[in-house]
Amino acid sequence: MADKVLIENLFVKFEGEQGNIQALEDISFSVKEGEFLTILGPSGCGKSTLIRSIAGFQKPEKGRILLGKRQVHEPGPDRIMVFQEFDQLFPWKTVKSNITYALKVNGKGKEERERMAAHYLEMVNLQDFGGAFPHQLSGGMKQRAAIARSLALNPEILLMDEPFGSLDAQTRAVLQSELVRLWQKVGSTIIFITHNIQEAILLGDRVMVMSSAPGRIKDIVDVNIARPRLPETPEFMALWHTLYGLLETKRFGENGKNNTMPGKD
Amino acid sequence: MPILKKVTENKILRQAFFIAILLGVWQYIVSTGNYSELILPNLRSIWTALVDSISTGEMGERTAYSLYLIGKALAIGSGLALILTALAMLSPLFADFVKTITTIFNPLPGVALLPIALLWFGIGENSILLILVHSIIWPLILNATTGFRSVSRTQLEVGRNLGLRGLKLVSSVMVPSAFPYILTGFKISWSNSWRSLVAAEMIFGASGGQGGLGWLIYQKRFFLQTPYVFAALFVIILIGILVENVIFAQIEKWTIQRWGMIIQKEK
Repeated sequence: MADKVLIENLFVKFEGEQGNIQALEDISFSVKEGEFLTILGPSGCGKSTLIRSIAGFQKPEKGRILLGKRQVHEPGPDRIMVFQEFDQLFPWKTVKSNITYALKVNGKGKEERERMAAHYLEMVNLQDFGGAFPHQLSGGMKQRAAIARSLALNPEILLMDEPFGSLDAQTRAVLQSELVRLWQKVGSTIIFITHNIQEAILLGDRVMVMSSAPGRIKDIVDVNIARPRLPETPEFMALWHTLYGLLETKRFGENGKNNTMPGKD
Repeated sequence: MPILKKVTENKILRQAFFIAILLGVWQYIVSTGNYSELILPNLRSIWTALVDSISTGEMGERTAYSLYLIGKALAIGSGLALILTALAMLSPLFADFVKTITTIFNPLPGVALLPIALLWFGIGENSILLILVHSIIWPLILNATTGFRSVSRTQLEVGRNLGLRGLKLVSSVMVPSAFPYILTGFKISWSNSWRSLVAAEMIFGASGGQGGLGWLIYQKRFFLQTPYVFAALFVIILIGILVENVIFAQIEKWTIQRWGMIIQKEK
């Protein structure tokens, strides 16, 4: 299939008071249409910077980000981001209006908005909570609502920045399998950031491992395990160890450098 | 005792109970006969004065005029505050300017501007408006600016991600997100201006036969109609309570409480 996203020689630099920090150095990769790519890396490897650059929130120093044949420069509804933060829903709108409003901004008619909101709420099992305000929902429900809003906009690519990172283990496991089910149903292209090896294997068609200071691509590994994937199978465990090994060399620093980076990641 | 229990448990009954005690003390002091009716009138004569001034239409007219002035000042003040805050957000240089003038003028009580207002506009509506707008605009700017600065980065990015830009982003994301602060600004502006209004009216008096509650108090004191002075004070208190504890409380309930932006108040 055709490349949906193409990143070419991307560099991102942060200018700070203690000098400049090279957050990303010479990042090149592509994501195929309908592919689920997970990006795995330790805190501070620049994986959040990378996805924020693709979303258009972060200006690259040099390099190109192509969506189809178009180069992207600023945020837009063709690349919808799902954040880790629970406050990504607008608290002054009900769960359903959060979705209908997003659709309204993007020019959808009233009937279509209502229909699509109902459809996507049902898809994430929130059909009974459309009238609730975000503060009345649990963390997991908020993330599901945010995913519903993103899917409703039918973006060319879904960018997910550790959306399950703040959830408890059980909720996280439930949402992981729900996300795979949604992705198989809708066929969206997804880039998913995580620092959790198991999550990266469970979800991704491929896992891109990053190393830090400066943020580089360490390796891209195919996940040739049939879905639904179970962590206790030998091939899952073998891949887990491979990825762990890739992270490990980095964790202790290939050349003794410290892996400190600004930002939440 | 069930009645006592009911009174101690219900907030409104509790408050009514305290008010009853205060009125009782008042009436007791009057009944000792140590004070002239001109200084401390009987509750009954205050009530009669209130009923009389309402039935002649005087109280209604004066109240309406005061509310008209404050409404006009709120419209002008919030409009100006909105423009200044919006411009401050667009240009950092202008933001510095707004910050400086707010720092200078915010601590200045509205009534302190009276002599200047007199010099500039003379006696009349415009002088009072100047004072009212002054007491409205600075707290509003201060709170709105703080509110806009505290808008969640994630929500702003979600807004930009959806395709919102510029003014649309401000009105659709920043204003509702900063609404708790904006509402606080309005509360302070209201209470500042309501207090300044009564004071200013007493000093300016009426222009062209018109005058508000402050002027009514001044006039009645001049004619030694003390019960009418207290009746006007009662109306001023009542409006204050109504706006602060009913109108603002209701707006709060419909908006930021419903949205989970503040913790629900205990009963």
